[in-house]
Amino acid sequence: MNYCSWGDSVQRYHLKIEISLNPAQFFSLVDTMARLSLRAEARRFYFGYFWWVLEPLLYVAVFWLVFEKLLGTRTPDFLMFLAVGKLTFIWFSKTVNTAANSLVNNAGLIARMDLPKMIFPAVVVLECSYRQIAVFVLLAIFILVDGRQPTAHWFWLLPIAVVQILLIVACAFIAALLVCISRDFVPLISLGTIFLMFMSGVFWDLNTLADEHAAELLVVLNPLAYLLDAYRQALLWQQSPDITHLAAVGAILVAINLFLVKVMQRYSRHIARRVISQ
Amino acid sequence: MSAAVKLTDVAMQFAVAKQHEGGHHRVLQGLTLEIQRGEKVGLIGRNGAGKSTLLRIIAGIFPPASGDVWRNPEMTVALLSLGLGFKSDLTGRENAFLAAMLQGLTRGAANKHMGAIGDFAELGDYYDEPVKTYSAGMRARLGFATGLLLETDILLLDEILAVGDNKFRLKARQALQEKVTEDRTIVMVHHAERAIRDMCTRAVWLEQGRVQMDGDVDAVLEAYGKAV
Repeated sequence: MNYCSWGDSVQRYHLKIEISLNPAQFFSLVDTMARLSLRAEARRFYFGYFWWVLEPLLYVAVFWLVFEKLLGTRTPDFLMFLAVGKLTFIWFSKTVNTAANSLVNNAGLIARMDLPKMIFPAVVVLECSYRQIAVFVLLAIFILVDGRQPTAHWFWLLPIAVVQILLIVACAFIAALLVCISRDFVPLISLGTIFLMFMSGVFWDLNTLADEHAAELLVVLNPLAYLLDAYRQALLWQQSPDITHLAAVGAILVAINLFLVKVMQRYSRHIARRVISQ
Repeated sequence: MSAAVKLTDVAMQFAVAKQHEGGHHRVLQGLTLEIQRGEKVGLIGRNGAGKSTLLRIIAGIFPPASGDVWRNPEMTVALLSLGLGFKSDLTGRENAFLAAMLQGLTRGAANKHMGAIGDFAELGDYYDEPVKTYSAGMRARLGFATGLLLETDILLLDEILAVGDNKFRLKARQALQEKVTEDRTIVMVHHAERAIRDMCTRAVWLEQGRVQMDGDVDAVLEAYGKAV
């Protein structure tokens, strides 16, 4: 028997919402879905939108209690050090873990409409990024209350955040595809983000590693470790991050994301079949 | 008359637990079907005969496991089924807005339809209440009303008339009838014979994933009625 051939008809189908033909419409749809999802989530909780900042704050409080008060860490100015690391790491971990289920959780919709599948992880990325804006404001207030003044180095926040979004998109897409293949990946992805938290210097300074070669290797192999260090350089230590490294990481991530978009487009209907039959 | 859809030797199977059917449930097998532009086709058959799967393959939602599917590249297609996965914490209006955008409308165009959808669904003040407070009938009415926005050349209807009370069903059928223009190709699945008789010019009876009988609506319905 022949394998299914769709011919030219595929291109014509759902012309109005095909992302490759109309990125503005795609973004508008993703934006609407993200905003409505945030609104729905806020309605589920008594504290509503307040959880956007309350949850990250509680994370910082718990880590501060354990590492500063219980274990007596020697990292100077630990609370600020932790706040920058944890509040930016949460953006990554929360998005990737939520995006992992984004395709399988939308099986009902996928079974009824031939939508570009990247919509689903993209909605999660945008949703978490909107929350992150509030977290960045909280972080700025934290730093100002701590007695620091804003400096020109704070402008580095923008390119660093852009590269972090690129990293989040890549990991979110990969996680969603893996869970589409098998739900067994859900706990593995969760474990993976915890492992990354330990390996990214959220509560320890990678500049204090005795083995310089190991520190360099960690930064090269784990972009998150580099990004978290870059945030601290810009916000706390009035330093500029290594721009060459930042640009190189950004360029590689753009290439990876373009590849992932192609994969999502190429295998859109196979993804649908997999999601529906799971 | 030119062809709208051609399916040749199409088979489809879904993975199930290994102890059942060797791990693969066959839904369609060796199905060949050609639908002409402007035809109104009613699909009938028992539960599990493969009707909804066939609609999804025609809609291009997923490819078949094997076989050829050809759809006229000049024609657009959409599948209309009730409840596009409503988010229960959002209001009926918000869900309708989302459904409209999912169907390809811009924000502005979607906004223009919101009033008409609420009126058609007869939700009253509940339109601005979360969908989790709705009865099953209210959800179905909202699902039908949002689906009416579709304006494609091939319209695939999956059990959408089984909605609301008799009064609403009559209104729904009339609204749908307006969409059944001469040039529009319709493929519909419905358990009620009357809907098939009223709206279709051809009936296809599916049995165990194959075409059991294909032809005149009355003849196919009569044969099907004797068999079940």
